Amino acid sequence: MAKPVNVSDASLLTHDRQAVRKRGFGVRKHMLLYLMILPGFLYFVVFKYFPMGGLVIAFQDYQPYRGIMGSEWVGFKHFIRLFTEPTFFMLLRNTLVLFAMNIVFFFPLPIILALMLNEVRHKFFKNSIQTIIYIPHFMSWVIIVSITYVFLTVDGGVLNELLAAVGLPKISFLTSSEWLRTVYIGQIIWKELGWSTIIYLAAITVVDTQLYEAAEMDGAGRLRKTWHVTLPAIRPVIITLLILKIGSTLDLGFEHMYLLLNSLNREVAEIFDTYIYTAGLKNGQLSYSTTVGLFKGVVGLVLVMLSNRLAKKMGEDGVY
Amino acid sequence: MKKVARKARKTGALLLCTTILLLSACSGGASSNQAASGEPYDENSKANISWLNILHTASPPTETILNKIEEKTNSDIQFSWIPDASKEERINTSLASDSLADIVTLTMLDNSSVRNSLKSGLFWDVEPYLNDYPNLAKISEDTRRSASISGTLYGVPFQKDLARNGITIRKDWLDKLGLETPHTTAELMEVARAFTEDDPDGNGKDDTTGFVDRSDLTYGAFKTLSSYFGTPNIWEVSADGKMTPEFMTQGYADTMDYMKELYQKGYINQDFAVTAKTDQQQKFAQGRAGIYVGAIFDSKNLLNMAKGIQDDMELVLVNDITSTGNEADRAIWAANNGIGGLLSFPRSEVKDEAELKRVLKFVNDLLDEDVYALMTYGIEGTHYTVDDQDAATIIDTDLWQQEVQPFSASRPKESGFKIHDADPLKKESDKLIADNADYAVLNPAYSLESETYNTQGSELQKTITDATYKYILGELDRAGFDAAVESWKKSGGDAIIAEYEAAYKEIQS
Repeated sequence: MAKPVNVSDASLLTHDRQAVRKRGFGVRKHMLLYLMILPGFLYFVVFKYFPMGGLVIAFQDYQPYRGIMGSEWVGFKHFIRLFTEPTFFMLLRNTLVLFAMNIVFFFPLPIILALMLNEVRHKFFKNSIQTIIYIPHFMSWVIIVSITYVFLTVDGGVLNELLAAVGLPKISFLTSSEWLRTVYIGQIIWKELGWSTIIYLAAITVVDTQLYEAAEMDGAGRLRKTWHVTLPAIRPVIITLLILKIGSTLDLGFEHMYLLLNSLNREVAEIFDTYIYTAGLKNGQLSYSTTVGLFKGVVGLVLVMLSNRLAKKMGEDGVY
Repeated sequence: MKKVARKARKTGALLLCTTILLLSACSGGASSNQAASGEPYDENSKANISWLNILHTASPPTETILNKIEEKTNSDIQFSWIPDASKEERINTSLASDSLADIVTLTMLDNSSVRNSLKSGLFWDVEPYLNDYPNLAKISEDTRRSASISGTLYGVPFQKDLARNGITIRKDWLDKLGLETPHTTAELMEVARAFTEDDPDGNGKDDTTGFVDRSDLTYGAFKTLSSYFGTPNIWEVSADGKMTPEFMTQGYADTMDYMKELYQKGYINQDFAVTAKTDQQQKFAQGRAGIYVGAIFDSKNLLNMAKGIQDDMELVLVNDITSTGNEADRAIWAANNGIGGLLSFPRSEVKDEAELKRVLKFVNDLLDEDVYALMTYGIEGTHYTVDDQDAATIIDTDLWQQEVQPFSASRPKESGFKIHDADPLKKESDKLIADNADYAVLNPAYSLESETYNTQGSELQKTITDATYKYILGELDRAGFDAAVESWKKSGGDAIIAEYEAAYKEIQS
């Protein structure tokens, strides 16, 4: 009895597969499913892939009134200019240093905070803390930079007045290149820390409670449980978020840095995003801006692929 | 089964249609041209005018004044406002995507993409038409030449006062400390010292400085002071056609030293390198400093802002400071050589000559006495009153700021009308600004072309600006500054000099 069923099953499968090959993806059969994909598909084609075609102007001397078809092709001229620009290595260094600081100092914090919040037993207290630390996320960079300005300025800034009151010299946080990175990362932590805990908290809630009970039976304390149960359980989430974070490597936030940038900290504060704006868009050099943007994108892509491969080697799923 | 499939197909088609419709609706909105283009315009017909304009205030004006202007000029105006702070990127993208209007306000004539699109013939050459209109015919030959690019005038120039900068000083503080109004840079330094150290507000606290400045080397204190030290306006040209940038002159170095002294002795707000204009004016209004360098007419604002905080404030305006004390050395830089920009008319929107003529007539009408009064003071009785001397007094400042002020930067001409401000400070500043014209220093390279400047000029300028700040704050010494200048020359500065010299020679011959 079992055999014929198996045979017919197999033939059915091959038949299906053949059908797929014949009709190409079974469009008719799965019409509704394809229809459901359609809006999303169109979105990506129209708003993501179609505009990418515009990247060709990186190889042109693009003049708006001549259009893409009419502008002169100049090959790698803009790339050569970018790589020979004396500021190129400064830009690359600043971007990478800030990125590294972002990963090292900011990335672990939400995980730690989420673990700590998870240990809070008092429901009301936990919820109010969560709500309060979300709030800064909804403030714009303009507001945060202005608040920082009020706190840190030399003339009447709160912190400097405090320093002066206890007899210490004033520090020009806003106009010195030494403090820029600290201020920058500090602001990111203040703004995004609470918000970033959301995903970790969600991941922690689905951890099987039996595991905790088992660990307790084995005599594990709170720290042990966190280390041996919670952390391994949310490891895939951490890896995924890390890869995504690396993907947006060079997106350090134009608005944020542009607000902090001034003549006295430019050597550490100028990053690709601000450079594209001041050297490219403000001067109407669309081709050159595109070149810088394209370079930035390629570096980001390479970093994502590398980190994804690394994640797979470590036995994780990766993002694709 | 079949039925379902057909139904699904139908739904799919519908969905697709809607998507396409939505998409086309989006793109359709942007390119919607002004009505009735193509039809010849009658001089006296009601004009339909769209205007891509720059907004210098926080919010766009309400309809009140606009309706009056439309009535007077027999037109229907549709504004698209671009905030002044983002004008560079917005104008550039508008030019790039050709989403323009009948009138485009172009204020940055030294911006390379603006220059390129002007030169490319995107806009009408208006020179041949100007003399047909009574108000436009009055635009002087000098102004027309300064506003031209490679010899062609691509729009109606905004006529601004040539040189508007000077110094505003607390008169009550001077009197209290028994000081005279300064006329040399050394006297000014002494006033700054006294304002900082001698407790001019008499509260017994060390809480005042002399100068209050902002993070702007051009419109802040630096450039105006540099004029007092005899620095040229951006470029200097010698008799034999050699070009020198301002930062390679002695005057510039003297100004840096002067600012450095102010900074090191604490006679200027210590965070001036990161201070915004509004903060600067607030500090002055709060009585934390006594010397403000900027546009002379800012004094009226400063006094207004100080109401209720510093009611004793009295101001004196100074425009005759020199470093030598000789009247002959008086000089003051002229911003953009007195050209505030162009009102340009793109060929893609203003299709034919008849249409251009109608738009030009509209601009001409904006220069009429009563439209000027509307755009400057508002509606008589509502916003201002006027006496028999044609002196206007604003009655309701808040209402005026809301409804009238946004238009003031759109006036094609700002002075030379009968009606004038009754406010004594404003009157005084108008007088000093008129005085300044006799001592104005122009930029000889303003209408010259340099390919290197167009592409890399502003990047290069950053090198100099950064070095100047660092020198003033003591982070760079003279050798360090000179090194920055060397690097400027090497990375393109030499090419700019050579290109300007060639362009200058061509114009002279």
